[in-house]
Amino acid sequence: MTPLITAEARAWADRKYPDFDFQVTPTDIARFARATGETNPIHFDHEQAAKAGYSDVVAPTMFPYVIRQHGSALVPREELELDGSPGTDVPPLPTRRAMAGETAIEFGPPILAGDTITVRKRLADMYEKQGRSGPLVFVEMEFTFTNQRGATVAKESFTRIYR
Amino acid sequence: MKTLPDVGAEIPTQVHSPTALDLFMFSASAWLLHRIHYDTPFTIEHEGHPGLLIHGPLQGVYLAQAAEAYLADVARLQSMTYRHLAPAYLGDQLECGGIVSASDRDGIDLDLWARKPDGTSTTTGTARFVLR
Repeated sequence: MTPLITAEARAWADRKYPDFDFQVTPTDIARFARATGETNPIHFDHEQAAKAGYSDVVAPTMFPYVIRQHGSALVPREELELDGSPGTDVPPLPTRRAMAGETAIEFGPPILAGDTITVRKRLADMYEKQGRSGPLVFVEMEFTFTNQRGATVAKESFTRIYR
Repeated sequence: MKTLPDVGAEIPTQVHSPTALDLFMFSASAWLLHRIHYDTPFTIEHEGHPGLLIHGPLQGVYLAQAAEAYLADVARLQSMTYRHLAPAYLGDQLECGGIVSASDRDGIDLDLWARKPDGTSTTTGTARFVLR
């Protein structure tokens, strides 16, 4: 079997991407909270967040996803593939058909409106497996989310599967 | 402090039937541009799916919400894992629930799932909570 991961793709292993800064606004938080059906006023209302002991509105738990997605996909139009995904952040593979695979995420202190979150991204691992309908390539990315006070607010490992 | 949940206790199931509007709002809120979540002809003709896909990360949100609705009063979500086992398509109903797999003063562990009414798990995962 011809390996899908060529030497050229293999050279991407342990690649570190440029850091990405995301300035968290109350609008970003409210938009994601509405999109996911959150109703707790701490995501929408500054005063309610203050009553609950926070200095500003609080992002829902899974908000780091929004941050890392912007880091990957907020690129010039010509860098997007036909399927809408960013083409420049993945190794050169013979297939672009991707599926979400596995996620492991740890949470630190909450993300608040007004925070600047720096995302450090690394291609942690890349491997091939035989699937039911043919070979699959697994690409594992590691993300570290740090706020402006230097606290790690989340750490995530995310594996995408190419078929 | 409230009492710890029993091992084996089931958490209340949250049922989701996201519409095209829900899928689009999630894509838009995260700047997720992948066409398989909003462009039906492309998804069918180019990607060979029968319809739009419910995002894996949205199912991750559903699992976190089910877990936090059950435990957020007594404990804080410290970590989560989840993996996608089968595609979930627009029109599918997802029953998101779980069971307590460990529970003591060190923390509470949950096994989680998003499952279609026919029993197919589309996403399974785990969550670890630490007491507040």
